[in-house]
Amino acid sequence: MTIATKKLSLTINDQAVGPIDVPEAMMMQDFLYEYLNLTASRMGCGQGICHACTIIVEKDDGALEETRTCIMGAHWFAGKKVRTVEGHAKRDATGAIVALSPVQQAFIEHFSFQCGYCTPGFVTGATVLMDQLKRNPIRREELEPTIVEALDRHICRCSGYVRYLEAVRDLILQTPGLVKA
Amino acid sequence: MLKKLLLVAAALVILVGLFAGCVFIGLFEKSVVAKDIEQPLSVDQMKALAERGAYVAVAADCYACHTAKDGAPWAGGLPFATPFGTLYATNISPDKENGIGSWTRAEFHRAVRDGIGRRGHLFPAMPYASYRNMTPEDVDAVYAYLMTRAPMNVPNKPAELTFPFNIRQGLTFWNLFNLPGSAASADAARSETWNRGRYLTDALAHCGECHTPRNLLMGMRQDAYLQGALLEGVVAPDITKAGLTQMGFEPSVLASFMKSGISNQGAMANQMFEVVHFSTQYMSRDDLNALSAYLFDLDKMPDSTIPPEPPKPVAIASDVAASAKTTYVAVCSGCHGADGQGIPHVVVPLTTNTSLRLSSGRNLIRAVLDGIPAQHFPGLERMQPMPGFKTLLTDQQVADLANWLRASWGGQEPKVTLDDVRQTRLDN
Ligand code: FES
Ligand code: FES
Repeated sequence: MTIATKKLSLTINDQAVGPIDVPEAMMMQDFLYEYLNLTASRMGCGQGICHACTIIVEKDDGALEETRTCIMGAHWFAGKKVRTVEGHAKRDATGAIVALSPVQQAFIEHFSFQCGYCTPGFVTGATVLMDQLKRNPIRREELEPTIVEALDRHICRCSGYVRYLEAVRDLILQTPGLVKA
Repeated sequence: MLKKLLLVAAALVILVGLFAGCVFIGLFEKSVVAKDIEQPLSVDQMKALAERGAYVAVAADCYACHTAKDGAPWAGGLPFATPFGTLYATNISPDKENGIGSWTRAEFHRAVRDGIGRRGHLFPAMPYASYRNMTPEDVDAVYAYLMTRAPMNVPNKPAELTFPFNIRQGLTFWNLFNLPGSAASADAARSETWNRGRYLTDALAHCGECHTPRNLLMGMRQDAYLQGALLEGVVAPDITKAGLTQMGFEPSVLASFMKSGISNQGAMANQMFEVVHFSTQYMSRDDLNALSAYLFDLDKMPDSTIPPEPPKPVAIASDVAASAKTTYVAVCSGCHGADGQGIPHVVVPLTTNTSLRLSSGRNLIRAVLDGIPAQHFPGLERMQPMPGFKTLLTDQQVADLANWLRASWGGQEPKVTLDDVRQTRLDN
């Protein structure tokens, strides 16, 4: 039996990828794992519920969008610019990590996670939220509900969420321009 | 000659005016509430009736409309958007001031069956044209049951209707054309089951209020009884025997679908989800069977079940199929499966889904654009939310997808147009 394939090209973490022959019906998550060895986005439920598998799609206007990879076909991302969790930290010319992203750093400082399975999804979700607030700052009193609304869909089975919430809140408050005076 | 004509015209105007006046003051209104209902029920009678009343109220789905989202039970407040303005369901808890606590038995009967409340005519958002067919015993039972509920001191919200629709007395005209003069009586030629089914369908569950299309006056069109209607942007499908069969139902599957809200035909969504949630899941097996038998026009449930023939795929242009398959694989197959088979207890199958088989593509387009919220069904069934794709897919992609899905699995001609998708987007 042969599996029908199609050429796929896209940009991942600022690197051009492809054209590669990828099975037509392959989900993005499998493509990332099996073809590119990018295994940071977690397979949790495989049904679009837990959001452990999300990555970022960078839209033409620069806005970031969070997308599940377990339920979206790899070819959906053809021609798009995406950022996986491997692409958040700062790296030097050799590819070695020199600094975590502010969101990653905040989660560590707040002991936000325990087993860490859900963490890539939270990193992705919180990064997208920060990007949205940069474009549309909110008032202080809207902050907690906004964080809850943005990250509520991410399921964590260990941490109880509070330390994720605190990490994101503190980071947003420390970052100029996200909350209106 | 001219003078004669003028005289005749003047006489006609006066006659019409007189007639309208008579209608307006209610001269043509017929109450179906018998004289003996004036007699109050005794405390013992009320007690004896209340338990059955709980069941009747569930079958009549009173709670769903008379309780606002997150509001006090039975205290009304749920908004109804109509083309003439917004109405609010009323407080029917036994609160003396705001509810029906001081209503007499006869006043309650007249509200439910004649559409005339204490403060005048009710708006037909209250399905009194259907409840008119309720038996006096059932109305008594609901009355007794409601009086056992906790009184809720919640004021009623006044209707926000435009002139002249805000004149309650004007409903005498609506009633003249749309309210049957008498309640339906049993059909002696049909079985008890069939008659019970009709009573449930027409009187208690008031199915026709959504599934029967409405005429210009917004009355139910009896010539198109239960043949389906568009409401709040979705199709309430044809639930005649022909319509149900086209959707892939047979009597026993329909009865279980009304109980559980889930079957191979899909998961109840939109308003029908609430109907299952508040009403039909609590109906007895016998009643659900009767309802189902009646809708299939049978005197009893069949002993064996023969599922309707699956629809034959309809040919579709190759470019539409190619566009649709690409979309399907990219954004649908992850959950609904490469072959539309779904995942048991998680995602409904598409191969047997009613939305693909309806004559109108509206419900499918709507689901693709807006998604469906997570829902808890009776028992332990849960459906995860279906994401909406309105920002991810173009009108063309949605139209192609809908046409291909409906042609391949629903046996429907590919007649969804770009305009249909555009219109559905606008209607939200
Ligand atoms: S793995 Fe994708 S949402 Fe759970
Ligand atoms: S830290 Fe274990 S699942 Fe979130």
